[in-house]
Formats: sequence, C-alpha cells, structure tokens
Amino acid sequence: MKPASFEYARPQSVAEALSVLSARASDAKVLAGGQSLVPMMNFRMARPGLLVDINRLEELNYHRIEGPDLVIGALARHAALRSSTLVRAACPLMAEAYQHVAHGPIRNRGTLCGNLCHADPASEMPAILLATEGVLVLKSSSSERRVPADEFFRSTYETAARPDELLTEVRIPAAPDQQGWGFQEVSVRKGDFALVGIAATLKVENGKIVGATVAACGVGERARRLPAAEAALTRAIPGKGAFSEAGEAAVAALDPHFGVHADAAYRRDLVRTLTARALSDAAERAA
Amino acid sequence: MSTINITVKVNGKPRKATVPPRLLLSDFIRQNLNLPGTHVGCEHGVCGCCTVIVDGAPARSCLMFAVQADGSEITTVESLGRVDSLHPIQQAFWEEHGLQCGFCTPGMLILAYDLLQRNPNPTEEEVRDVVSDNLCRCTGYQNIINSILKAAGKMRDAEANAPARADVAAVSKMEAVQ
Amino acid sequence: MSHLDNHYIPASKQRETPGPGLNWIGKSMKRVEDPRLLAGKGRYVDDVVLPNMAHAAVLRSPHAHARIKSIDVSKAEALPGVALVMTGAQAFELTGPIASFASPPVVQYCMAVDRVRHVGEAVAAVVAEDRYVAEDALDLIEVEYELLPVTVDPEAAATATGEAVLHPDRGPTNCVFDNSFKFGTVDEDFAKADVVVKRRIKWGRSGAQPLETCGTVAEFDEGTGKYTAYANSNFYAAIGFIVAGALKVPATHLKVIPTIAGGSFGSKLFNHKNLTLTCMLARAAGQPVKYMEDRLDNILNADAHGSDRIYDAELALRKDGTMLSLRFTVVDDYGAYLQYGIGTHGNALSQVTGPYRIGSFGMRLIAVVTNKCQQGAYRGFGSEVTNFVMERLVDAAADQLGFDPVELRRKNLILPHEFPYVMPTGNIYDSGNYQAVLAKALELASYDRWKAKQAEARKEGRYVGIGVATCQERSVYSPTEWWSLNPLETPGFALTSAPEGVSVRIDPTGKIFAQLNAPFWGNSPETVVTQVLAEQFTVDPSDITIGYADSDAAFNGFGPGGSRFTVMVTGAIVTATTRLKAKLRKLAGHMLEADENDLEFRNGKVGVKGAPGLEKSIADVALMANFFRMSFPDTPEFDSGLETTAVYDHPLTTPPAEDRRHLGIFYPIMGHMCHVAVVEVDPLTGKIDFLDYAAVHDAGTMVNPITLGGHIMGGTAMGIGTAVYEEFRYDENGQLLNASFADYHIPTAHEIPKVKIGHIETPSPYTEYGIKGGGEGGRMGAPSAVVRAVEDALKPFKISIDGVPIPPSKIRDLVRASPAAAA
Repeated sequence: MKPASFEYARPQSVAEALSVLSARASDAKVLAGGQSLVPMMNFRMARPGLLVDINRLEELNYHRIEGPDLVIGALARHAALRSSTLVRAACPLMAEAYQHVAHGPIRNRGTLCGNLCHADPASEMPAILLATEGVLVLKSSSSERRVPADEFFRSTYETAARPDELLTEVRIPAAPDQQGWGFQEVSVRKGDFALVGIAATLKVENGKIVGATVAACGVGERARRLPAAEAALTRAIPGKGAFSEAGEAAVAALDPHFGVHADAAYRRDLVRTLTARALSDAAERAA
Repeated sequence: MSTINITVKVNGKPRKATVPPRLLLSDFIRQNLNLPGTHVGCEHGVCGCCTVIVDGAPARSCLMFAVQADGSEITTVESLGRVDSLHPIQQAFWEEHGLQCGFCTPGMLILAYDLLQRNPNPTEEEVRDVVSDNLCRCTGYQNIINSILKAAGKMRDAEANAPARADVAAVSKMEAVQ
Repeated sequence: MSHLDNHYIPASKQRETPGPGLNWIGKSMKRVEDPRLLAGKGRYVDDVVLPNMAHAAVLRSPHAHARIKSIDVSKAEALPGVALVMTGAQAFELTGPIASFASPPVVQYCMAVDRVRHVGEAVAAVVAEDRYVAEDALDLIEVEYELLPVTVDPEAAATATGEAVLHPDRGPTNCVFDNSFKFGTVDEDFAKADVVVKRRIKWGRSGAQPLETCGTVAEFDEGTGKYTAYANSNFYAAIGFIVAGALKVPATHLKVIPTIAGGSFGSKLFNHKNLTLTCMLARAAGQPVKYMEDRLDNILNADAHGSDRIYDAELALRKDGTMLSLRFTVVDDYGAYLQYGIGTHGNALSQVTGPYRIGSFGMRLIAVVTNKCQQGAYRGFGSEVTNFVMERLVDAAADQLGFDPVELRRKNLILPHEFPYVMPTGNIYDSGNYQAVLAKALELASYDRWKAKQAEARKEGRYVGIGVATCQERSVYSPTEWWSLNPLETPGFALTSAPEGVSVRIDPTGKIFAQLNAPFWGNSPETVVTQVLAEQFTVDPSDITIGYADSDAAFNGFGPGGSRFTVMVTGAIVTATTRLKAKLRKLAGHMLEADENDLEFRNGKVGVKGAPGLEKSIADVALMANFFRMSFPDTPEFDSGLETTAVYDHPLTTPPAEDRRHLGIFYPIMGHMCHVAVVEVDPLTGKIDFLDYAAVHDAGTMVNPITLGGHIMGGTAMGIGTAVYEEFRYDENGQLLNASFADYHIPTAHEIPKVKIGHIETPSPYTEYGIKGGGEGGRMGAPSAVVRAVEDALKPFKISIDGVPIPPSKIRDLVRASPAAAA
C-alpha cells in the first residue's frame, strides 16, 4: 500500500509555509504528525499533489497560558500535551480525554491541531474543543481569523479551514476552579477511536446548575454540542435525576447513524449512559 | 518525479541518500539502508511492527516519509545487540519466551528500550500499557510483559554494579552496530 | 450390533516411552530460533533480495460478483518503470488450476479469468521496478465489469439460481455439498431422551491475520527450465508438485525454498495462489519477481478466512443429566471457492461429542459458496467451532435442567479407565484424565472464591460471571479426514499418507545436522528437534544444528498444521536416531573391541556399560566412520558415513468403513483443556472486563513446557479475539466493511487478561515419548469459556448467547431486548 506521487516542500518559516499554501491551495496538504494523513495516503484514499511539511517550524511547538487561555501551537504533539501538568491544570478535560487517544508512537508524532483539522467524527479532541468552547486560529498569507469550535467542525473530514489556511493555534479558556468536568468514552479496544465519547463541564452555584456544556463524538458526521442536554441541565439540581434526563434529552435530539462498528440504537444507548456518567463525574468535581 | 538528498543518522552513523518524496521511512530503512530487522505488517500505523526510534521517541516508520527524516536520528533493532552479544532486553525476551514467530519482536524491543530509558522501574501495568501500543498475534502478550519486567531488573542490576560514570548521557547510548 | 462392529484399534507402535529419566525432553530450554530473531536477523520472505528483482502488485476486483467484459492495460504498460502487465485471461493461458481438495473440485486460477466472485479477487498483475510504480500502474488499468447478483446470505445461497450461481460449470446451485451422516443410534437415542436441548448457534467469520502476509520471490532459469521460489508456504514438500503442474513444468522443475514465516495459524498452510502467480510473472518478465501481499491484499484475498457457520443443534439427555446423543444441521458459508473441500467438518468429527460419554451423533452438512473470500485453515480447522456448539448445549442443558454446569460436565466426562475411548464417529481419544484437568483449572481460577464474590457482587448490582469450558484438542491429523465425508461415488483423491520426514547426519567432527521438510511458523521446530536429538544422542544442544530443506531435497513432509508437527517429526527423528545409534554402536564396538549390545550412550560418548573409561566420543567414531573405511570390516554395515533419512507415518490411523458408518481412526492423539473465565460486564455499555482467567491443558508429555505455554496463551488470546472482537463483516453487496487493522479488531495487551496456565500430562500410549500436539492451544476452548462467563454475568437479564463474536454492541442488544432490562 504505497502512496501516489507528490511534491514535497519543507518551509523554513510560518510565512514561507503560508506562501506555499496560497500558491498551491488547490492541491497542497499540510503534513504535521501525519498519523491520520499518511495512512490515507498509503491507502491512496488521499492524493495531495504537494505536501507542506511543517515539522521543522519549532516556533509552532508550544503550549502555554496566555491571559485567560491555554494556547496550543500547531506542532504541539499529543504526547507532550498528555503528560503536561499545565494542560492538566488548565484543561483537565483534555488531559482526561488523552487517556483514550491512540497509542504511544502515534502520540509521539501526532499533533492536536492536525487531529482537529482531520476532523474524524469519532475523534475525541474535537469534542473537547467544543465542550471547552475553544477557538481555532487560522492564518493565511493574507489573513488571520479566529473561528469558534462550534463553527469549525463541519462534517466528516471537513472543517471551516480554507485550503490556503494553516491552523496555527488553538485557544482554550482555562477551566475555572469551580468548574466540574467529565469525560466518558466507549471504544472497542483501548486507544481506538470512540464509538461514542461525551465531554461535559458543569458550573454549580447555590446547589443549582448555572452552566453546562455537553459535547459528543461518534454520533454522526461530526462532533457536536448537545444543546438539548445542556438546556435540560440549566437551573436543574445536580443529581441522578437531572443527569438521566439530560441523557434522554441528548438521545432524543440525535440521529446517530454513523460508522460500521455500531448501529444507531447502540450509539443512542451510549449517549444516554455516558452523558449521565460524565455529568455525574463533573458534578463531583464541581464541589 | 523529483528526488531529494537526505542525510539521516541511523544507529549512530550518518547515511546519505537520494530518495523520492513518497518513499516511506519503513522502506527506506529496510531497502535503501539494508536494515531489514524492522518489519512491515500493515502500512497504516496499527500493528507497530515497523516501530523505530526517531529523534528519541518511538514512531511508526510506515507513517513517515524518508524525506521527513532528513537531519533526524533513527535507531533500529539492529543497534541493540548481535546474535552473540544480545542486549539485556533481548536476553530477557529469550529467557522468558517473549517471542514465537519474531515478526512483531523488533517493534516490541524498541518500545521496551524506550520505556526502560524513561522509566527503569516500571510496574506491570505500565509495561502492559506500552506493550498495548503494538500488536502480537502469537504470544498473547503475557510473556512479552514478563520479558520487559525481567529486562528492567537486569538493567537496574547492571546499572547498580557499573562503575561510576561522569557522563550520565552515556547511560542511554547503545553501541552502534550495523 | 453396533455401527462400530468392524472398528478396531491397532497396537501401539511407540518405541520411546515417557519417564522420569529424561534429560532434555520436558525442559523449558531457551529456543534455538530466538537469537537471530531477536537481533533482527531472521530472514523472512520480504527480506529476500535477488539481483535485478522486480516487484509485483495485483489489481483486485471492487465488485463481489461480476463478469469481466474487458481489461485495457495499455496505459499501465506504457508507464515508465513497468515491465509487464498480465490479465487473468492471459494467466489462464500460462497456468493450470490451483489445488482444490474438494470433490468434485471447485476450479480456481491464480487470477480471475472471466468472472470475479468476491471483492478483492485478483484481476490483473503488474511487474515493475518497484512496488510504488507497480501500484501506480494498477491505477491505470481499466476494467469493464458487468455486475452479477451478489450472494452473501448462506441460507439464501442454497436456493440461488441463474446468474447468482458462482460456479455454473459445477452445477446449477451454490450449494456445493448437502449430505447427512449418522453414527450410531441417533434417532432412537433422541426418541428415548427425557430432555432435548435445542439451540441455534452462529459462528462468525474471523481469520488468522498473522502480522506477516503471504509472499513469494521467484525466478525462472531459462537455461534449466526451472523455477526457484522463496516462499512462506507449507506443503512444498508434500504437494509442491501441484504448483509445478499449474506452472506446466515437471515436478522436478520447481524448487521452493521455505523462508521463516511471521505467523501462520493455518493461513500459510498452502500458499499456492501467491506462489503460482509470482512464478508465472517471473517467467513472463524474464527477471526475478517479488510479490508481497500488503495487508489489504491479505485481508481481502488471502484465502484464509475461518469457519462461518450456522448450527441448529440438539443435545439429548436423560433427566438425571446423562447425555445420550448429539445432532445438528450446519450451514457453512465457504466463500467463493473450496480449496480444502469440506475438510473443516471432517476434522470436527474427530471430537464433535467433546470429552463426554455420548453414544451417538448425527449431522446434516450443507456447504455453500458465496461472494466472499474463501475459507482456509484457521487454528482449529473447524473443531473449535464444534467445541463451542457442544459447550453451548451443555450450558443450556445445565440451565434448563437446573444443574450446576460444572457438575453436569463432571457427570458426563469420560473416565480415566475408559481410554482408549471410541467416540461415535469412530475416532478414538487415546488417553486423558479430564477430571484432573477440571480440578486443576478450578483450583487455579480460585473458582469457589469467585462464586462467593459473584454472590456479593450481585447484591451490589454488579454483573460478574464465571464460565467453565471443558474441550478437546485433537492433534496429528490423518489425511482421511480430508475425503472421508465426500460422496462415496466421488471420494476424490483418497490419500492415506500424511507422513513426516527428516534427514539426520553426523559430520566428521561429531556435529549433528538435521534437515526438516517443514517450515518455521512461530512454532519451535528447531528447538523441539534439538531437544529430541540431544535426548537420543546424549549430546549438548550446541552440538546440534537444524536446517530447512528446500523442495528439491525435501521428502514426505506434511509440516505443521493440525497440531501435528512435534509428534510427527519426533517419530521421524526416533527412526533416524535408532538407525544411526545402531551404526555408532557397531562402529564403536569394533573400535573398543566390545560387543555392540554392551554399549550405551552417555554424555555424548558411546561406552561399555559399567566400564567408565571404556568409551569413545561420538566425534571420534564419526571421524572414523567418515574417513577410515579400511579400519573396519569389509561388510556393508561398516560403509562410510553416518547419515540417514527417515519417514514416519501417522502412528495410529485406520481407514473409514466402506459404507462410512464410521470414519475409522483419524485424529486420535487427543489433548484436552479446561478454561475458566471470570468477567465483569457493564450491561449499559456491553463492555467486558476480565477479572481472572485460568487455562489448564493436557498435551501429553511436554517436550518444552514454556513453548507449549506460549501456544496456550497465544491461542487463548486468539480465542478471546474470536469471541469478542473479530469478525470479517460483509454487507449485502459483498463489500468487506472492515478491511484494515483499524477496523478488524485484533486484541491488544489491554484486551487480553493475564492467564494462569496449568499443565497436566497424560502421555499418549501411541506416540514417541507420549507427546501430543498442542499448537492450536487455547483457541479451542476460550470462546466457550468467555461466552458462558458473559452469559452468566448477565443472568439477571435471562439472556442466552448463541454465537460469536459478542462485541459490546451485541451484548447491549441482548440486554436491551431482554424483558428484564433495567434500562
């Protein structure tokens, strides 16, 4: 399973990379970790005319706190983020989800930003970006824009990024101290893509839920927020009843026909069960 | 189709080559460098038979292009030991029956080598977690886990008995063996 | 008055008995094979590089069933770097059909000729300067297909007509076999039963998927007219001539050089399509050609899918739990071809009634072809399926009759004094102690403690389950199983030989060389043979070297498969060493001026019993034997040299009865196992966690306990994969939905528990040293234990699990459908 031919560019700077992308927007693809792109190329399901290898742009390899946000650069590898105390503090939801992501060698090369751009509907990180209301910074040689996560993921392998744009960074509001969080996933084997994954955050004040985000992966052609579940939680008293209702509300609003490994009935069951469990974890942590 | 000149340090030795962009690192290692100890099982990054160390961390060589490795350091199974002087990890696999057909073995040895560099005293769970990165169809994994735990013990003992060394970095070096 | 009236058990031919005085047999010796494998110096077929070698790639059909209307290869041929492009129609002019053990055969060629019958079937091949260019050329081949109706439902296959028939030359139906068999008084036994337990049981299609695919490096020498091929195939010694025939050369003109294989589990039993295709391409291209299947090639087309069956099965019992009779109808979906005939059913009949005292057995076998990849041999060769059917029925009977499942088994297990035991089909179980295996397994698993914990867990609302399976593991097949179920009018090639051969020589320095006629698959042939030779000659393993004969030098070797190799090669070794030791004694007797009958072997020397100084080293004798003919009498037994070949036939087999009321003895070296699985199930997600697992096996005398343990462990992991994770999933259009390792879920170390392994040894009275085969290992029993454990865990939901695999979604389906479902 060998890839089709392509041209190869290894720009020495971000500006150069953007320039190449502009010039070759029609057939260029960014190569970062390659852990999703190269298998597709080996199957000849992807045949980019030009690969733009950004792996030497060390200036993009960072994650740090900037004001209220955890900012993560394009070349930040999964492995670094997974073991980072900074990430664990600022985005515990991401740290938890990373326990379910792939395997060591994949994480050593793969990047968070690459994973988000690949937008596999069963991938965990898009759900994390949605649940934390992250923002994606897209740069081209002529523009820079910030796209909220819930506008970024459009469909299977399809995002709001234009062909001449590079996702240079994601910005995630650092989790407030009082915010609880929960992540639950079922996959066939540990490390596989999720059959269904649920990410949730909860804010509780005076014994009532004042804020909730619930996001899911594996439920359709893209990761999505579950507004029906969020609505059911608003002003509710945290507890088994509310979480179960949120799970039911989530299921009612979904039509999860997707993928070969689980039918819609099973995915609905998982959404119901995992939503309740993620919320239960979140409530415990909100205390 | 254009070709690109690359220089890659492999098992401590610089190797120069001129390669097409699409040549997979796994094929480069096996064919161009004549190091067939690294195996190919799936070419889509799941089985891990092709695992080598790239710039200090295990990576699937079937998911990289040789051109990406220009300027990088690669370590393959051939650097661990020879038939008549096996590395303690290889010796442990031998003693604990950690292989049957041997096809996944180089990848497992690389993972073990990397683990024991980072964590000389892993728990069984930590070893199982690393072993779960790669597939094995023969052993059912338990003897691989036992082998790595035994290797950890051998290497800790060797370290404890070794004369004091000024250069701590030397601990991580293996003899470059073609 | 019984159907076994003319059945007989031949006397034992055993020459070497097991016993406490063995030095090497029974030792967990480090493997001889390992150092080179560990150092990355093992030479697998893809490591073979010949000068001027080109690379092949194969274009595969995207359709499950279609006529090939036209193939335009002009653009592919014109691509720079391409040496040649060949279509299936062109290959048809150059090669004959591939082997089919079916009778009548189901005709197949190395590439599809005018019609494709499954997704992935080869349509054309390209030879190019490298694999990358070869695959570029595949993209440029234009094939026009005319779609034909697709058959994927095995129960519908039998009634398919017209264009849906895959092999119209063979008949107007996709049913390739429909026959019934009765062994003993089945109808009467069912009539008199108090209880008949019925189940419909489905066994999903999984496959070996070893990490190394099939490959060949071939070259054709125009000067000698001879092919040479490096290949990771078995059977080159025994039936390589069939490939030569397909290549239209005499059998002497194909030399197959075996390379070590990165796993097989049956899938490389006869890699004949790959071998034929690559040889043909090498000749046509005029240069050596390498064809390595990639993973996609292998998953779609390696002819190595496992059994794919639906059983309607019944077990007849008395109300006190005594089992009387077993019968079933089975539909087997063989895929598009039938290379091994219905051999996977003949095989199963060796142990179909399990370890239980069941007096009669009947079956109707319906085999169909469908538009899927064909079945091959997969660890168990069909017996692992009937093990599962038997154990499901036993558990169902326990539930229905209100018996404890362990007690019901104990009540029916064959007793130690009943061996050799003749089971209804005529096969025998040579020896065993099933009670000891069961007891040890329960102890290893802390069964009673888990039962108590299970009761507590149930109170806490947790779902913990325990599954116990007691299963047979037959070893050392006799070839009668390949044809004994064929119609009497068309038995096909009714071969009765399946020997193993070996050559052994001692060189002038006293070193011992043995050449095997069988390949390395990840079993331990070099180690096992080294241990037996060391035992026989009393030498150190370092004085022994094992090699692999190519097909020019090889003879009479059926190789690994059916857990036979260790037993068979040991038999051949014993024959060889007996002969060589006799000659050594003769020579040494002359050198020591002693009577050869007074001599013994000790520490690598031949010496006079009771006289410690009076001895010669084997090296001394060997030097004389090779170079000093005139130092010995001028009679033939002193002729130069110390070498011999030996062929060992199956030690205990008899022909099937002419009217097939029994099948004779065909798989009698009978191992046994007990697996105990303890699981916790989440009924809301269907996820399973293993809490404990014990596996106790009896494979007779163990040659090397740690390598046998490796087969038990690896087989158990495969069995867990079969039970929970693995299935080739075809949709209604015959598309394989999970044709990659991302989607065909081979378990990782996280999915496989730590297995507590135990051994019991009841030696065989019929094999050398009492050894039995154990290579198929845990896969024969794990599915039964795992499925029962899950069923037991979900007992409050009153569900019954009647098939594999049971991925989380399937378990959840069962819970959801249960009237007792909580959520």
